[in-house]
Amino acid sequence: MDYNIILKIASIGILTAIVSQVLKNIGKDEIATFVTVAGLILCLLTVVNMISSLFDTVKQLFLIY
Amino acid sequence: MDIFRIIGVGLLTCIVSTLIKVIKPEYFVVVIISGSMVILFMLIDSLSTIFSYFSILSSKAGIGYELFSTVLKVLGVGFLTEFASNICVDSGNASIGDKIILAGKVVIVCLAIPIITSLLGTITSLLP
Repeated sequence: MDYNIILKIASIGILTAIVSQVLKNIGKDEIATFVTVAGLILCLLTVVNMISSLFDTVKQLFLIY
Repeated sequence: MDIFRIIGVGLLTCIVSTLIKVIKPEYFVVVIISGSMVILFMLIDSLSTIFSYFSILSSKAGIGYELFSTVLKVLGVGFLTEFASNICVDSGNASIGDKIILAGKVVIVCLAIPIITSLLGTITSLLP
């Protein structure tokens, strides 16, 4: 597990912020909210995968069945 | 396990989380969770060496494997509740963090009940 997962999530956040800003300016407000929600869901998916792998390793390590 | 990489990742997480808090407040918690995850994954292999060493010691010292596995379970529960409650406190809702800590204590006491019974059994057997 290396550290670039943090930078990836931060870049997704910044990207969604920019895209939603641009979409708001050209008048497409609904699509801006969709982009924001989609970016957030993407980050949550990656974090949920990390959480599940952490729980698996903790189960093996601490003998919790 | 080199401490410098861990400190670097921790400081990187702090900086990125404060940055992302300004741009997009929703991603603050996600960045903190992923940063602490990375640090925990760095610790896993050294923890496994420590535990294997202690299991060898406990088997040599004659302590029952049941006792040692319960201690490991209690450690794991404490480890996870500490992790979750600190993230809740960081993200602003301390009440949920306290509830998680309370739940962890309850689970640990439930795990400790068989040890207490065996302890009392040995004490009563020692009495004349």
